[in-house]
Amino acid sequence: MPQLVTVKVNRPDRRPVRVWVPVLPVALVLFPVVVLVVLAAIVACVVFRIGVVRALGAAWRVISALPGARFDIEQGRTAVFVAIR
Amino acid sequence: MTEQRKDILDMLAAGKITAEEAEQLIAALERDQAPATVSHDARPKGKVKYLRVVVDATDNGEPSRVNVRVPLQLLRAGVRLAALIPPQALVKANASLSESGVPIDLTQLKPEQLEALVEHLDEVTVEVDSPDATVRVFCE
Repeated sequence: MPQLVTVKVNRPDRRPVRVWVPVLPVALVLFPVVVLVVLAAIVACVVFRIGVVRALGAAWRVISALPGARFDIEQGRTAVFVAIR
Repeated sequence: MTEQRKDILDMLAAGKITAEEAEQLIAALERDQAPATVSHDARPKGKVKYLRVVVDATDNGEPSRVNVRVPLQLLRAGVRLAALIPPQALVKANASLSESGVPIDLTQLKPEQLEALVEHLDEVTVEVDSPDATVRVFCE
């Protein structure tokens, strides 16, 4: 499961923004929202006749596989960097 | 020319060996060198973990760069998630793709085929060079 998300944004004539997001504490704070999202996903699965357990398992696998992903985009003096650890 | 090949040709020139013997020695030399060359270029199989996409381009005179690293595990998980897409959604996606000039039938794509594709991605290297941009897709 991801532990830390790092976001860096450099824009011309502005101060660079660097944000480190600890995933677990943020997920705990947003727990009510997470529960609502999971409930909505379950309802969607039932409506579209998709196996709820399979769908939740696949979604969890996607979340678990996120660590190591890195996106680095630069154009001129503007740059965005996102890394998931 | 390698040192050993040069030695063989020198021996042939000096008349120490015949042309036939020289040919046999060079053939033996090439047999010995071929596996070494292959193993030098080959990446260690089973150790690749990431799909990398690197794009260097010039856009309106400004250099731009995209450097993306995606875990292969994420691709595998995505394939399993994509397998859950209901058929009616795939039909709609097919219609949209056809309208955009991409006549691909997504219902014909089986999860096993996609998984096999991801499994063999470690052997794929794509390099595109153009005057304005360079694109490299590879695994590491």
